[in-house]
Amino acid sequence: MYAKFPKGAAKRTDPEAAAEVLYDAVVVGGGISGALVALRLSDAGKRVLLLEAGPAEDLTLRGYEGYLDRFYSAIGKDNQAPYPAVANAPMPRGTDARRITPGAPDASAYIVQNGPLATDTTYTRVLGGTTMHWEGKTLRMLPEDFRMRTLYGQGADWPLTYEDLAPFYTEAEREIGVSADVEDQAYLGITFDEDYVFPMKGLPLSYLDRTVAKDVDGMPVELDGERRELRVRPFPQGRNGIPNPAYDGGRGYVPRGAVSAYQVEVGERCQGNNNCVPICPVQAKYNAGKTLALALQSGRVDLVAQAVAHKVHVDESTHRVTEIEYRRYDRPDSPGFTTMRARGRLFVLAANAVENPRLMLASGLHGSSGLMGRNFMDHAYLLAWALLPEVAGTFRGTICTGGIADLRGGSFRSRQAAFTVDIHNDGWGWARGAPMTDLMSLVDSGGRYGESLRQGLVDRVSRQLQLAFMVEVPADPSNRITVSPDFTDHLGNMRPVLTYNVPEYTMRGVAYARQLSRRIFARLGAEDHTAYDPDFWGYAVHEGVGYEIRGGNHLAGTHVMGSDPSTSVVDADQRCWDHENLYMVGGGSMPTVGTSNVTLTLAALCLRSARAMLAQLDSETAPIDVTHDGRPVPSATEEAAVR
Amino acid sequence: MTAPSFERFLLLSVDLTAFEETDLLGTGMAHKYLAKVRAACGDEAVTALLDAHRAARADAAGPAGNRARTPLDRDVFDRALRHRIFCDDRLGPVARNVIKLWYAGMWYALPPEWTDRYGTCTAAGTSTVTAAAYQEGLLWRAIGANPPGAKAPGYGSWSKPPRIAERYLKGASR
Repeated sequence: MYAKFPKGAAKRTDPEAAAEVLYDAVVVGGGISGALVALRLSDAGKRVLLLEAGPAEDLTLRGYEGYLDRFYSAIGKDNQAPYPAVANAPMPRGTDARRITPGAPDASAYIVQNGPLATDTTYTRVLGGTTMHWEGKTLRMLPEDFRMRTLYGQGADWPLTYEDLAPFYTEAEREIGVSADVEDQAYLGITFDEDYVFPMKGLPLSYLDRTVAKDVDGMPVELDGERRELRVRPFPQGRNGIPNPAYDGGRGYVPRGAVSAYQVEVGERCQGNNNCVPICPVQAKYNAGKTLALALQSGRVDLVAQAVAHKVHVDESTHRVTEIEYRRYDRPDSPGFTTMRARGRLFVLAANAVENPRLMLASGLHGSSGLMGRNFMDHAYLLAWALLPEVAGTFRGTICTGGIADLRGGSFRSRQAAFTVDIHNDGWGWARGAPMTDLMSLVDSGGRYGESLRQGLVDRVSRQLQLAFMVEVPADPSNRITVSPDFTDHLGNMRPVLTYNVPEYTMRGVAYARQLSRRIFARLGAEDHTAYDPDFWGYAVHEGVGYEIRGGNHLAGTHVMGSDPSTSVVDADQRCWDHENLYMVGGGSMPTVGTSNVTLTLAALCLRSARAMLAQLDSETAPIDVTHDGRPVPSATEEAAVR
Repeated sequence: MTAPSFERFLLLSVDLTAFEETDLLGTGMAHKYLAKVRAACGDEAVTALLDAHRAARADAAGPAGNRARTPLDRDVFDRALRHRIFCDDRLGPVARNVIKLWYAGMWYALPPEWTDRYGTCTAAGTSTVTAAAYQEGLLWRAIGANPPGAKAPGYGSWSKPPRIAERYLKGASR
């Protein structure tokens, strides 16, 4: 089944006309969160206005191939390489990161970095959001990740348990189309419904994974008195594999193909392009366009692109949001814009964990808890790289098919951060720019050409093993997004200012990760080539030893959920404590990130919140009337109009 | 001065890359690459490189009149390439760039000491030749992989051993 994008849907909504409509919900952001909310609300008959900051043509195959061509032609192939840079809705780039001098924020790129530690974290501001460039790993969080304060005295507890979220994980796995096998994924307390199978069967491990597994499987590790044995385990993936006929009680699963305005033969099974980041050339990987296309088919979702939310307006007496003021730019390359407004009964900020608080803070809405923008989280990545003693055929498969998940949980978490370990099928690409850097050094300084070059490439590249330790970062209120009128973009929107450091707790996990990598390499008989450069922008020293720390683009925590309005920004439904018709959705609501890439969990949260939104819409039968006394005034005609 | 010959450029490319002429022609990039090298370095440098290559082959061809492309004395040929081309201030950087062009599908800017001495042509900066050039990089074939994002090898192919010729596996095998 391919996802048909209704022809003209990206342009059919006139913003002038939309300003006169009172929508059931106004959603800010056309990424996975906004798409899922729009889909669920429109399925229930609600009218939704979706504002997207980036430019949007209809999602067609030709448009997608335009991204691909830009990627092929790009000199630097970073995770934003396929996507057009638009000054009116700028996006951070991994290549922006610079070492920060204390006291001198780096304002050279979109995110103003205050440090002390720089990060290369990014997100993509195009229709479909960061799922355009995401890798597609879809690990569930562990049950203990939801109770970190109670169990380990670290971070915060969620107002939800794993069991509360489990049905929505199942729903999210259907929406995204996850390929995995339950027998590989039920560990460290992760449970599934009886007879549950994933929509599609697990993708096979790479030859590189298998080469590593020959030695690593069964490797004993003792940590905090607990002994465990490591094994190389396949990761669940948000990309199309072989549909499992046992799915859904034997009804099976039909994968979603490419988004297009016409029938195409792509978007089927993963073909092993080894390019999940920055773009899957065949749309085997899920992107939010697949969900958007379905939402737009309902006819109840209006999409306005080139619409950058500027200010959230709030009624002074009720604190309800009355409208979102946005700046609609005429052309991507010129700064002219029109100020527009969007009105709705509910408002949903789904712009991500940096843009959501940025917008609130730029609107003067700091939250009664004072936590808006605070507790910014990402994963801290530590890379370790080595040469295997045998040719392992590196650079084939999806970016990552397997890794080690045995140290995601355990009592050691009262002392140090947990991690997931990825085996990178793209070798030392992330750490050292392989294989191009290998080619350069073999030719330029190795004197290699002809046969000796070919031999050198096999020796140097096809034996590469890179382990990426994705280390948990707990919430810390001093890691935060703020805004300042000193820093604005072309449209006059305040840019995010990030203050970030990696806590000691995480650094203890990092140090342990490095030790473990040495043991793993020794067990493999691999040559450890890891060396951390003190001039690296993310160089951090812990107990006298320096490490290169990278960001994971797993943005979270800036509007944390909780059960107490004084210690959280949103409730378990992601509804703002301060504004009863405002939902802030996405990674920003997560009180902990655990050791899972955040997308599956935030998708599950959005699906859960969509029910709360529908319940609220049904209980509040009236639209708000802001022209009089600010109190909701029942209006039967409005109600009838949206049915 | 006559334009550098395509046939001689192709023969040079075979020797520099260790890929067969049919492989190089099969990329569909050979003419574009010669044009790129000429545009970036100027015809004089390209002609000098091709001449030096011809001389190196002659050094290794043994008795005069042996016009067959093989057998060459590989050791003599290797030394001749090093002496005549790779250590040469003008020809060395160009030859290395030709190798990288074939392997990466990208023209890398020549070092500043080269352009200072031999002049800057308009097309001298780092650039991709065409979107297809990246996909045709020989690097990927050398390591038995596809260029990331193109020429997909098919579902599950990654779980099989890589297709790398046996002769390259010997050194590393345990």
